[in-house]
Amino acid sequence: MNQTNTVEEIVSQPYKYGFVTDIETEKIPKGLNKEVIRLISNKKKEPEFLLNFRLRAYDQWLKMEEPDWSGLSYTKIDYQDLVYYAAPKKDIKKQSLDEVDPKLLDTFEKLGIPLSEQKRLTNVAVDAVFDSVSIATTYKEKLAEHGVIFCSISEAVSKYPELIEKYLGTVVPINDNFFAALNSAVFSDGSFVFIPKNVNCPMELSSYFRINSGDTGQFERTLIIAEEFSSVSYLEGCTAPMFDTNTLHAAVVELVALDQAAIKYSTVQNWYAGNEKGVGGIYNFVTKRGECRGRRSKISWSQVETGSAITWKYPSCILQGDESIGEFYSIALTNNLQKADTGTKMIHIGKNTKSKIVSKGISAGKSKNSYRGLVSISPNAVGSRNYSQCDSMLIGDEAAANTYPYIQSKQPQSNIEHEASTCRISEDQLFYLQSRGIDFEEAVSMIISGFCSDVFNELPMEFASEADKLLALKLEGSVG
Amino acid sequence: MNLSNSEILLSIEDLHASVEDKKILYGVNLIVREGEIHAIMGPNGSGKSTLSKIIAGHPSYKVISGSIKFKGINILELEPEKRARIGIFLGFQYPVEIPGVSNLEFLRVSTNSRRNELGKSELDTFEFEELVTESLKIVEMDPAFLERSVNEGFSGGEKKRNEILQMALLDPLVAILDETDSGLDIDALRVVASGITKLSNPNSATILITHYQRLLNEVTPDFVHIMANGKIIKTGNKELAMDIEKSGYELINKRTKKKEVAK
Amino acid sequence: MKSSAFCRNWLKSLPPTQGDLQKEQVFGRKRLLEKGIPSPEDEAWRLSNLNRLNEFFALPLTIKERSNHHFPEQEKSIKRLILNTNKCILEDILPEGITKLSNREIEENIGNIIKTCNIKNDLAVSINQAASSDLLALRINQNVTQSLEIIIPSVQQQMISTRVIIILEKGARLDLLEVILGNNQSAQNHLIEIKLEANAELNHELISFGQGKQASSLSTLAVEQSPQSKYSLNSLHQGWHYARFEPRIIQTQGDASTTIKSLQVTSAKEQIATHSLVRFEGPNGRLDQLQKAVATDSSHSIFNGSIDVPKKAQKTEAAQLSKNLILSKRARIDTKPELEIVADDVRCTHGATVSQLQEEELFYLLSRGINKEAANSLLLQGYYDDIISNFSKNAQRWNFIEKLIKATNK
Repeated sequence: MNQTNTVEEIVSQPYKYGFVTDIETEKIPKGLNKEVIRLISNKKKEPEFLLNFRLRAYDQWLKMEEPDWSGLSYTKIDYQDLVYYAAPKKDIKKQSLDEVDPKLLDTFEKLGIPLSEQKRLTNVAVDAVFDSVSIATTYKEKLAEHGVIFCSISEAVSKYPELIEKYLGTVVPINDNFFAALNSAVFSDGSFVFIPKNVNCPMELSSYFRINSGDTGQFERTLIIAEEFSSVSYLEGCTAPMFDTNTLHAAVVELVALDQAAIKYSTVQNWYAGNEKGVGGIYNFVTKRGECRGRRSKISWSQVETGSAITWKYPSCILQGDESIGEFYSIALTNNLQKADTGTKMIHIGKNTKSKIVSKGISAGKSKNSYRGLVSISPNAVGSRNYSQCDSMLIGDEAAANTYPYIQSKQPQSNIEHEASTCRISEDQLFYLQSRGIDFEEAVSMIISGFCSDVFNELPMEFASEADKLLALKLEGSVG
Repeated sequence: MNLSNSEILLSIEDLHASVEDKKILYGVNLIVREGEIHAIMGPNGSGKSTLSKIIAGHPSYKVISGSIKFKGINILELEPEKRARIGIFLGFQYPVEIPGVSNLEFLRVSTNSRRNELGKSELDTFEFEELVTESLKIVEMDPAFLERSVNEGFSGGEKKRNEILQMALLDPLVAILDETDSGLDIDALRVVASGITKLSNPNSATILITHYQRLLNEVTPDFVHIMANGKIIKTGNKELAMDIEKSGYELINKRTKKKEVAK
Repeated sequence: MKSSAFCRNWLKSLPPTQGDLQKEQVFGRKRLLEKGIPSPEDEAWRLSNLNRLNEFFALPLTIKERSNHHFPEQEKSIKRLILNTNKCILEDILPEGITKLSNREIEENIGNIIKTCNIKNDLAVSINQAASSDLLALRINQNVTQSLEIIIPSVQQQMISTRVIIILEKGARLDLLEVILGNNQSAQNHLIEIKLEANAELNHELISFGQGKQASSLSTLAVEQSPQSKYSLNSLHQGWHYARFEPRIIQTQGDASTTIKSLQVTSAKEQIATHSLVRFEGPNGRLDQLQKAVATDSSHSIFNGSIDVPKKAQKTEAAQLSKNLILSKRARIDTKPELEIVADDVRCTHGATVSQLQEEELFYLLSRGINKEAANSLLLQGYYDDIISNFSKNAQRWNFIEKLIKATNK
C-alpha cells in the first residue's frame, strides 16, 4: 500500500459549490475608466464625497504597479477585460424577503445559508452578497433594538453617510497597495457593522459572499466599527462556481476598535480553487486590517483558507492603543497547483501591547503554501510581547511549505518569541490509530484535525464544526 | 493451565517475513488457545517485535510465506483496523504521540469501531465517559489524562497505562503486549500487571513479549517461548523463563543448537 | 549619486586587471557594471545602511605592504599566516600535509564553489572578484590532520581585498582560525571558498573585530560539502561600523553535517548583518544553527537565515535558532528566518526570540549582594557562553570575552 498516494487521494475531493445560478444579471460593459467609476457611483446614488474617494483612489491606482514580490506567478490580469459591476436584474433590495427572487434564496439555501424566516439560523444574523450586491440581511430589526447596525455598505452609505465618511479608508488608505487602491475605486458592496458604546452584540454576525458571474471582478468592502466597551463576533464565508477562467477577488476589510472594544473576525474561505491542472479558480488578493485604536481594545482574526487558485492575504493588527491585543489564528490548506501566501502583520505601537500568531499550513499535491509575517515593535511599545507559532504539514514530496517570519524590534522592554516546525503524517501515527480499529480515512482526518486543533479552538462555536467539516470535505470523500 | 480442548484463537504457521528487504522471521510456528497466557522471550533483534507488528498488520513489514489465522480465518489480507475490530490488540512498546488529537475522542472512536463489529450500539459522549471512568480504575489513571492529546507529553509509565486502558476498552480476544514492562518502575509494573490479570478471561488469550523475567513474576504464563534468529527455538512453562534468568539466552541458544546438530 | 554611476567611479579607481586573478577581476567588474552596486530595491540589501556601503567604496584599494600589528602570541604548533603582502603568502613555509594549489588547480577550482551556491545578484562576491589580486590557495592533503591560522589585518583609510581558497581532500581534518581585523576608517573586502571532499572535517573559527573608528567589512564564505563531511563554523563579529557577513553552505549530495554557532555584538552606531544560506542538494543532511545577537546604544543588528530543502533532500534534519538581546531603546534588531521546504519526510524547526536580559535573573543576583554592573556582566557572559565556549584555546588568546562585555555592559 502506498500510503502517501492514498493520503493524497483523500485530500483531493471535488469542489461542492461549483454550480452556477441561472439568473438574469445586469452588467455594465467591461473595462475601467473614470466614466465607469462615475457610473457605478451613480447607480448606487452615492454622495459626492464617496465619488471623490473613488476617483482619488483610481488616480492613485493608475500610478501603482502590480506587485510581484512574493514569487507567485500567475497569468497577468487584464483589468480592461473585467466587469466591475454585476447585479441580479430584478430590483433586488426588497423590503421583505418574500419579494427576493426565489432563485437567489434557493442558491443560498444550497450553500447552507437559508435566509427565509422559518429556516434561518437561530443565533446568526446573515448578510448575503451575490456578485456585487447584498441581497438580504436577516435579523436587522432585532439588532436595531440594541442599536447595532448591520447592513450592506451601500445601504450604510445612504443611511449613515457621516459614519462612512468618518471611518472609510482610515485603516487601509486608498494608496495602501495596488489591490486596495483598485478596490477603493470600484467597490460595489459588502457589509457594514456598527456596534455602539457599551453594547455586546447579541448574536453572531455573518456575511456570505457568492461569486456567480465568470468575468466579474469581486470587490467587496467591509467596515466594522466597535465603539467603546462594545464587542462583536463576525463571520465571513465565501464560495464561487467553477469556471475555467480566473476570477479576481480583491476585497478590503477595515476594522476599528475603540477603548476596550473587542472584534473577533472569522473567515472560512472556500472559493473555487481551479481544477487539478490548475485551470480556473479565484485570485484572492485581499487586504484585511484592523486598528486597535483604543486602550485595551482587542482584534482577533481567525481564518480557514481552503480555496482559491492563489491566495494573497495578511490580516493585520495595528496595536495603537496601550494594552491592546492582536491575534491571528490561521489554517491554510492547499492542494493541486494552489498557491497560498498568507500570514499577518502585528504592528506594536502602544505600550504593553500583546500579539499572538498561530499558523497551520497543510500543503498537498504540487501546491505552495507560504507563511509570511511581520512582527514589529516600535520604540514606544514598552512592555510589548509577541508569541508566534507556525507549523507546516507536508503531504507528498511535491508540495512546498515556506516560512518567512520577519521580526523587527526597536524596544528593549519587549519580548518576541517565534517557533516553527515542519512535519508530515507519520506512518507510525496512522498505524497506531488503525490498530485501534479506526479506518485509514478517519485516521488521516483525525491527525490533520489534531494538527489544526489550536486554531479550531479559537473559532466561534457555530463555526468550528463548519470549518472542521470543510477540511473534512477536502480530506475525506464520505464526510460533508 | 493447558486447555488443549478449547478453541484455537491464533495459529501461525511457518511464517517468514522481512522489513525493508531485510529478512527477520525464518519460520515461526505458534498456536494460542482461549484462556491461555503465552510469554515470548528472546534477545534483542530476535524478531519478537516484528512478529507482533506483523500480527497487527503494520504496512512496513512484508510476509514472504506462511500464514496467520485468527479463529481459522486468514488475516494477512486484512487492513490493520479490521484486525483490531475483530479482536486483535497490540500494546505498543513505544506508543506514538499524536498532537492535538484528544485522548478521550480517540478512545471513544476506537471503542465504537470495535462495538460496531460486535453488533453493539455506539456509545455517545456521556455513555462513553461512564465506561471509561470505570476502566480508568483498572490502570489507576487520573481522568485528567483523557483531556490531553493522545500520548503527548505522557511519561513512559503513563503511556503504558494508556495502552492497558485501551486494551480494557477494546476487550480483545487476543492481546499482544510488546515489552509493556520495559522502562517501568516497580509500582507502575504492578499496576500494569494487575491490569493484565484483571482483564484476562477464559474466552481470550494474552501474549506477553518481554525481555526480562520481571513481568512474569506478576503474571504467570502457561507457555514460555524462546525466540532467537527469527524462530521460536524452545517452548516450555514458567520454569523455562526462570532458567533464562539464571543462565541467559546464550546458553539456551547453544544448547538448542547442539540438539539440532545431534538430530 | 546613483548607484550605477557610483559603481563606475569605483571600478575606474581600481588598478588595471592583472595577475592570477585577472579572469576573475574581469568577470566581477563586468557584473558590477551590469548590476550596479546594491540598492534598497534589492530585497537582500533592503535593511543595509547604504551610506556606509558608499563609505566603504570611497576608500582606495591598496596592495601595498601593511604595517605590522601586535597580535597575541601564537601557539607554537600552529602555523600563522598573515595576509599583509603578496610575497608573504608565496614565501611562507607551509606545515606538513598542506600544499599550495598549482596554477592549473586554481584555474579549475576558483569561482566554482561560488557557482555551486548559485545565488542571484550575488553582489558581495562580485565586489570581491572585481578587486582582489591576492589569492591564498591551499590544499589539505588526503587524511592529513592540521591546524592553521590566517590573520587579515587592515590599513587605515584604505580598503584591502583578500581572497582565499582551501580544498580539504578526502579524510583531511583542519582546525582553521581566521581573524579579520579593522582599523580606523578601514575596509575589509574578503572572500573565502572552501571545498570539503568526502569524510573531510573542518573546524572553522572566525573572529572578526572592527577595532577603531568607522571600520567596515564585507565578507563572504562559500562552503561546498561532499557526503560524510563535517563543517563547523564558530564566528564572532564585533566592533564594525558597518559589516556584512554572508556564509553559504551547500551540501552537494546531502548526507553531511553542518554546524553554525554565530554571535554578533553591536554597540554605538554600528550595523552588523549576517545573511546565511544552507542548502541541501541530497538526502540525510544535518544542520544545527544557532545565531545570537546583542544590540545596544543606537546599533542595528540584522540576521537573515535561509534554509533550502528541495525535493531531493528527503530525511533532512535542520534546526535553526535566532536569539537576540536588545539592550537599548535606540537599538534595533531585525531577524528573518526563511525556510523553503519541498521534501515531505524532513524534520525542520526554526525559532527566533528577541528580548532583554531577564529581570528576574538580574534581581536574583542583585539580591545576593552583587552590584548591577557585575550582575549584568555575569548575565551577559552566560548569554555569550553558548557560542564562545565552543572556541578553541588558541582562539581564546584573542581575549574576546572582555571586548564583548565591555561593548555591551553599560
